[in-house]
Amino acid sequence: MKILIADDDALSRRLLEKTLERAGYEVTAVENGKQALEHLCKLEGPRLALLDWVMPELDGPGVCRAVRKRSEQTYVYMVLLTSKGTKEETVLGLESGADDYLTKPFNAEELRARLRVGERILLLEDRLVEARENMRFRATHDPLTSLLNRGAIMELLARELHRSHREKKSTTILLGDVDHFKQINDTYGHVVGDEVLIEIANRLLGAVRSYDFVGRYGGEEFLVVLNSCDPAFAPGRAEELRKSVSNCAIQTAKGALSLTMSLGALMSSDWGLRPVEELLHEVDTALYKAKASGRDCLRIAQPVTKTEPPTAPLSQPVRLRR
Amino acid sequence: MNKREESLSEPVWNLAELLERVDNDQELLRDLLNIFKEDFPLTMRSLESAVALGDLKNSARLGHTIKGMLSSLGGVRTAAAAARLEVIASAGETASLKGALEALKGEAASLLPELEAYMGEVRH
Repeated sequence: MKILIADDDALSRRLLEKTLERAGYEVTAVENGKQALEHLCKLEGPRLALLDWVMPELDGPGVCRAVRKRSEQTYVYMVLLTSKGTKEETVLGLESGADDYLTKPFNAEELRARLRVGERILLLEDRLVEARENMRFRATHDPLTSLLNRGAIMELLARELHRSHREKKSTTILLGDVDHFKQINDTYGHVVGDEVLIEIANRLLGAVRSYDFVGRYGGEEFLVVLNSCDPAFAPGRAEELRKSVSNCAIQTAKGALSLTMSLGALMSSDWGLRPVEELLHEVDTALYKAKASGRDCLRIAQPVTKTEPPTAPLSQPVRLRR
Repeated sequence: MNKREESLSEPVWNLAELLERVDNDQELLRDLLNIFKEDFPLTMRSLESAVALGDLKNSARLGHTIKGMLSSLGGVRTAAAAARLEVIASAGETASLKGALEALKGEAASLLPELEAYMGEVRH
């Protein structure tokens, strides 16, 4: 494990360095508080630190305060080394954000034991962060396809629309629906249906750029948000996505299945700051037209002009069809 | 027994404590003694200048540094003398500062030959 030592006294620094290397730590030793702070603020910097109290540039408590201000950072366990011994100073050191303190000259066994406490705290933090990330992933992703779920992609879409409006960039919304998906489930069973959905999700993800969004909107419906997408290129991009599904048969436990997808598209050339629900209603209408035109095709929605009322009231929920 | 008497009852150099601190690593011990041999005279000279100028802030800081290096090395009595100087400088007791420096130099004069002798032994 990486550990940082900050001490302006070369003798103390060397002693700590050797003691900790012997205990298996990967040691970085610096001679003032400013250098310590730089190392501790690095992305992959040490998460354990031994900081001398009195140092040039920035003292140990100053380093602790500066590190604690960076709340977005992973936790750094900091031990202050001090020859100061009064209760007031101990309180001051701990109040500055230090987790522990050790009086100089240190006892090697005690030092190692206290650092093991730090390692336990860091391990606990790692586990909590991992659990939180797992929960966040589950709350925002579809368990079958691992795509963004409906709530998450709607939220991202709303955010992206505001951003593109602010930055005067274009966004394209695509709504895709797997053609005759019900027949797949009815003929081959839900397990095969799930295989199909997983493969289509992978193909859609593979066909977009890293900064586009793909989400599972409903059963066999996928919502794709192409960010910063020039309207002139949007139909071509949409066709690529459609063909990513139909170009190659999908291998399932019941054999290869050829599938197609119908797509509705809406480009943000002149839609201004309209509610997400209203825009989705328009793209859904375009998808309906694609289905009515024989499926396996793309239809572009015509944005409602300012003089035309929206085709559905804002409060009306969006209803999608297969 | 007052603090001064207490510190006098301590050995000039607590080698046993230092050996425990370095896990009996003779190579590390030599390293530490070499660092001390190089840093201590420089820091002492800076301290002498600060005391001569009546610079309390730097006297306290340098007293603290010397206290730290001597504590790490097991130079208990000299470290105690450096600690007294630090306290005197921090308290602004200019009149006592020169006396504290002389006491520190006196303790160092007892310690340094012991360190030199040990370095001579382990070198061979």
